[in-house]
Amino acid sequence: MKINFWFLSSIIISIIVVLPILVVFSSFFQDTSNYFEILKETFFFEYVFNSLTLLIGVLFFTFILGVGAAYIVSFYEFPGSNFFKWSLILSFAVPPYIYAYSLFAFFENYGTAYTILKNLFGEGNYNQLIPKFDGMFGLILSISFSLYAYVYILARSSFLYQSQNLIELGKNLGFSKIKSFYSVILPAARPAIVAGLSLVAMETLAEFGAVDFFSVNTLTTGIYNAWIAFDDLAFANRISFFLLLFIFILFLTENLSRKKAKYHLETRGGFKIKQKIKLNGVKSFLAFAFCFILFFLSFLFPLSQMLYWTIKFPDNLFDLKLTELLLNTLYLVFLSSFVLLFFSLISNYGNRVSKNKILNILSTLSISGYAIPGVILAIAFITLIAWFDENMFQVLGLLSIKKIFIGSVLGLVIVYCIRFYSLAFNGIKSGYEKMNIAVDESAYLLGYSKFKTFSYIHLPYLRNSLLFVLILISLEIVRELPITLILRPFNFETFATTAYISASEDLLEAAAVPSLFLIVIASFFILLTSKYILRENNE
Amino acid sequence: MSNYFEVKNVDFKVADKTKVKNVSFSIENEGDIICLLGPSGIGKTTILRTIAGLEKIDEGSISLKNQILSSKKINIEPENRNVSLSFQDNSLFPHYTVEKNILLGAEKNKDSKNKKIKFNEVIDLLNIPTILNKYPHQISAGEAQRASLARSLITQPDLLLLDEPLSNVDQSFKEEIQVNLKKILNSLKITTIVVTHDSYEAFYLGSKCGIILNKELKQYDDPYKVYHFPNSVEVVNFLNRGILIPAEVTSPKSLENKDLGTITGNFIKPFPIGSKVKLLIQPEDLQHDDKSNLKFEVVDRKFRGTNFIYTLKTSTNHLIPVLVHSHHIHQHDIDEKFGIKRPIYIDHIVCF
Repeated sequence: MKINFWFLSSIIISIIVVLPILVVFSSFFQDTSNYFEILKETFFFEYVFNSLTLLIGVLFFTFILGVGAAYIVSFYEFPGSNFFKWSLILSFAVPPYIYAYSLFAFFENYGTAYTILKNLFGEGNYNQLIPKFDGMFGLILSISFSLYAYVYILARSSFLYQSQNLIELGKNLGFSKIKSFYSVILPAARPAIVAGLSLVAMETLAEFGAVDFFSVNTLTTGIYNAWIAFDDLAFANRISFFLLLFIFILFLTENLSRKKAKYHLETRGGFKIKQKIKLNGVKSFLAFAFCFILFFLSFLFPLSQMLYWTIKFPDNLFDLKLTELLLNTLYLVFLSSFVLLFFSLISNYGNRVSKNKILNILSTLSISGYAIPGVILAIAFITLIAWFDENMFQVLGLLSIKKIFIGSVLGLVIVYCIRFYSLAFNGIKSGYEKMNIAVDESAYLLGYSKFKTFSYIHLPYLRNSLLFVLILISLEIVRELPITLILRPFNFETFATTAYISASEDLLEAAAVPSLFLIVIASFFILLTSKYILRENNE
Repeated sequence: MSNYFEVKNVDFKVADKTKVKNVSFSIENEGDIICLLGPSGIGKTTILRTIAGLEKIDEGSISLKNQILSSKKINIEPENRNVSLSFQDNSLFPHYTVEKNILLGAEKNKDSKNKKIKFNEVIDLLNIPTILNKYPHQISAGEAQRASLARSLITQPDLLLLDEPLSNVDQSFKEEIQVNLKKILNSLKITTIVVTHDSYEAFYLGSKCGIILNKELKQYDDPYKVYHFPNSVEVVNFLNRGILIPAEVTSPKSLENKDLGTITGNFIKPFPIGSKVKLLIQPEDLQHDDKSNLKFEVVDRKFRGTNFIYTLKTSTNHLIPVLVHSHHIHQHDIDEKFGIKRPIYIDHIVCF
């Protein structure tokens, strides 16, 4: 085994990323306070039951919405089909907690729906007629409308890349459209759909803002409460352990499905753009209506609600320190993106050149950060720093390191990096996977050193992947809530935390302005990435 | 005088799995071309990759121009050996045009005082002027292979390694490129090792041929000898150009077969009289004679353009190949009788 710069750097990076993840697992064996006993007797099964109900509900809705929309826009042509193709991913710009604020505000007593009815039909007792979307059902809807795009994107790309031959074979065998869908198209896209649903499941179990807003007790809020209310880190970590076991099953499912999903992506020459079927009359209207309603409910509705409030209560706009929030958000975005891209590039190249098994295992572990809810990661990070502080720095008589890492931008960026490392690592990896290893070997044989190969051959080749990863990380950081909430420095706010704080103080109108800005910034990032996410050829 | 290039007692491995063991061969002079021939998956590519420095060795040594490139203790990195490898699969830089790819090759050794191959020369040689502005994903596998070959050629290495260089190239271009390639390699004195599974390509390009079978280099000799004097039954079977029939040695210059009768000629290896041997019969060993009374039944006829290969079934159920010029007037159909000229004389008798 040859130890060189690339190998060593990759090992160090992977260990840094893996450490807090290991803390969660190791803390399972630590002592906890009485809270564990209290909880076991009272709410624990409620947490588990609620988490499962939420998961099943969200998976059901995201499957219907994601696969349905993907099928319609991939195979049919109808008015607006080109517009819906990309606009349906805009729902990513609305995090579940902002969707929850909109949903609640629209349907609440004397809310927006009431105002609309009053303006249309005059005063009346409309509150009884307006359905209420709070509690579990509101939560399921909020998360589903925000996350269905995961399933939509992966299913659509699978439908698009499905071999034309496969579909023609179905026709040749005399299958009807419905039979073709069930017997040929859907089974071939199954790995992609499972991968999308697994991502949705992981995000759902990790969701904090919306769950907290609707006061539904799940494992994630249980962890947060154990830490906030009982100051019991060990127990917070113990619940995390249970949640993580479950999430890792999903993580493995997603990874395996992704590997299988590759099988029907054909290489050069195998991709043919399918001729879409042109719809007319009622069918065309139904397809349009489905996509429009989905686009409206998932994006226009929360956007309009936030816009409506911003206009209705303009003072909130002026009260908000917009420049400061924008700068804080951008500061975190640039710093984290830079660190993440730098680390992921080195680590990927290290993996590529050293082909070392230990490094490979460490890398696989390190990308699991994405599967771990932000709340858990933040708490694990605090646990780790506290352990180092007590057992190493204080023993040696050194100054406490808590202030350097907890409640600081440094700590925040480190945990962002752990959480979003897999996005950066996998994004660059998928760029690398398209490059045959013989390309590197050719470069060496042309006299290029490893560093020159990296900078002259790899970096120019990976520039599109890097740009895509950069935008994706930015999008995630703009939307991120629990890590920022727990680890941010005093008086350091982002659009997400400002919205959360206002909402938790029952000032939903005040939450509208930061939410609106968050949606606009996130939409901007999504539009930048849509070219890559939705590409229809393999150029 | 020492050899220009030498492989001495090397085990070629990939991921600790031995592919070819205890290999030794050499290239005597600068500019020689040799070919390594063997079935797919036998380890030919591993040999090239190891020579290029992409795989390491635990035993023996590989040296070029009296300098050790690889041994148990020494391993010169690929970028520091002046060895070029043209991969079988597309290894072009995907984000550069074909032209840029080839020009990157030209940058290597640009200060060398050796006779240079010109860019246009290599482009014409490989018939790729029309794809210069295209990207690797826009060209066919055969074109990519030729572009990769151009990039390797233009580096003018001390040793050029070609891994199945023309396997994806259309048959119509193949022979023309083979001729041009050999010409240019000879004129620039570029020492080359070609790996192929095509024996015709190997026999044409190589001044020497190595046959790799069952994890061993079975024979390393000039192509004529490899074909006519195979040193083992395995080589005969691999080349698949003849069959082995039982015979008994009756004198220092003759043997007897139950179907063919007496066969005379020169043994390439002496056998004691009375030995039971397996005699190699190649298609060109027997001659057709319509008037002969030694007749066998035709069971197959392959038209090869310049000739026919008839397969005859003997009374002991052996299938003997016989070559006949394709202008031969009497074409024999399946099940017809086919005459063999007597007495049978084979210039070099190969027995095992």
